[in-house]
Amino acid sequence: MTTLLQQLLREHRAELLADWLKSLHAPWEHPTPQDGTHHEPNQRLHALFEDILTALERPPSDRFELDALDPLAKHLRQLVADQARRGAGSSETIGLMLSLKRLISKRLIEQSPSDSSGDLLWLEQVFEQLTLLAFAAFLDIREHLITQQSLSLLELSTPVLRLWHRILLLPLVGVIDTGRARQITESLLEAIARHEARVTILDLTGVPVLDTSVAQHLMKTIDAARLLGTRVVMTGISPEGAQTLTKLGIRFADVISRATLRAGIAEALLMVGQRITSIEDGRP
Amino acid sequence: MRIPILRLERTLLVSIQVDLTDNDAMQFQSDLVERVAEIEALGVAIDITALDVVDSYMARVINDTASMVRLLGAEVVICGVQPFVALTLIEMGRDLMGADCAFNLGQGLEILNTRIATRGDTRFNEDEDA
Repeated sequence: MTTLLQQLLREHRAELLADWLKSLHAPWEHPTPQDGTHHEPNQRLHALFEDILTALERPPSDRFELDALDPLAKHLRQLVADQARRGAGSSETIGLMLSLKRLISKRLIEQSPSDSSGDLLWLEQVFEQLTLLAFAAFLDIREHLITQQSLSLLELSTPVLRLWHRILLLPLVGVIDTGRARQITESLLEAIARHEARVTILDLTGVPVLDTSVAQHLMKTIDAARLLGTRVVMTGISPEGAQTLTKLGIRFADVISRATLRAGIAEALLMVGQRITSIEDGRP
Repeated sequence: MRIPILRLERTLLVSIQVDLTDNDAMQFQSDLVERVAEIEALGVAIDITALDVVDSYMARVINDTASMVRLLGAEVVICGVQPFVALTLIEMGRDLMGADCAFNLGQGLEILNTRIATRGDTRFNEDEDA
């Protein structure tokens, strides 16, 4: 015996697909011209559509189980991954599922308001699973992206610059946590040893928050650098930062501190016996 | 009541002449710190000649202010600590006043100037944008 739902799906397949695609948002319909793959999303959607309908055409049961290796699950995951990479919000991804469900259930009710309850329940169950799966996949891919980004940030944001002969500059940008602090300390110490730096400038202009843990990390870095025989100049502490540090009871007692990187560089140059001067008149 | 902050070139001069309430003390602290950052001051002289009594709170405020100012890259001298004040401070604990001290304002400024002269960024004075 064919249920109402199976019958509906068989008869109105093409219309459903057309309606669904129409209900989706602009990015799918007007793909950016420069990437040549603008047919691909639509193909994916077609494949997904077929998969979902196949799942719906199964005889209704109490529970709808979706195997992780099922082609439907695989297609759905791929589609969601694409969307997440493209920067789509979660509502757009989930909306994809929900709009199809709305279309089908609307047609079901239109056809037979009285006999459709069993089919509706089944529909509800299938889409519940699909939505859950889509959401989990969406979160997974986002999580993955975030981890990747924080890793690349870690690598990017801790360069040790050789400012002058025997002067190193370490510009700190962003939030300093334990992991970053250790990496900073390691690369700094390594650079100090390699260049035999006499002075190291630690620029904090780009550090948004100075709190106890950041200060402790900084102290450790500074102490370790000193043990190697270099002198440390801190620059770019904001007035708020200075107040917070002092109120937290943190004293950078014998660290030289300067308001700006400029003043810090002048100080460092003085320590190695150099000075920046204007070019004499008469020279090109 | 707000403590006026006077500017001599790139040195700041504050004189505390009456006992401050806790609120006033905090206001003084943040005013001074903001000002130091604003003009990139090279030195700050805090004169407390007129204070006969300094309690532990006030001592800590002065001391904290001094280390904040130092973090912002300026030299600090505290001028005119009275003998009785010095005695009470020592009674309360040695570290209450960590900054350098001078007899009077004149000597304080002298110390500041010597220190500033040995700094690397002093020559910015003649620069285009100081």
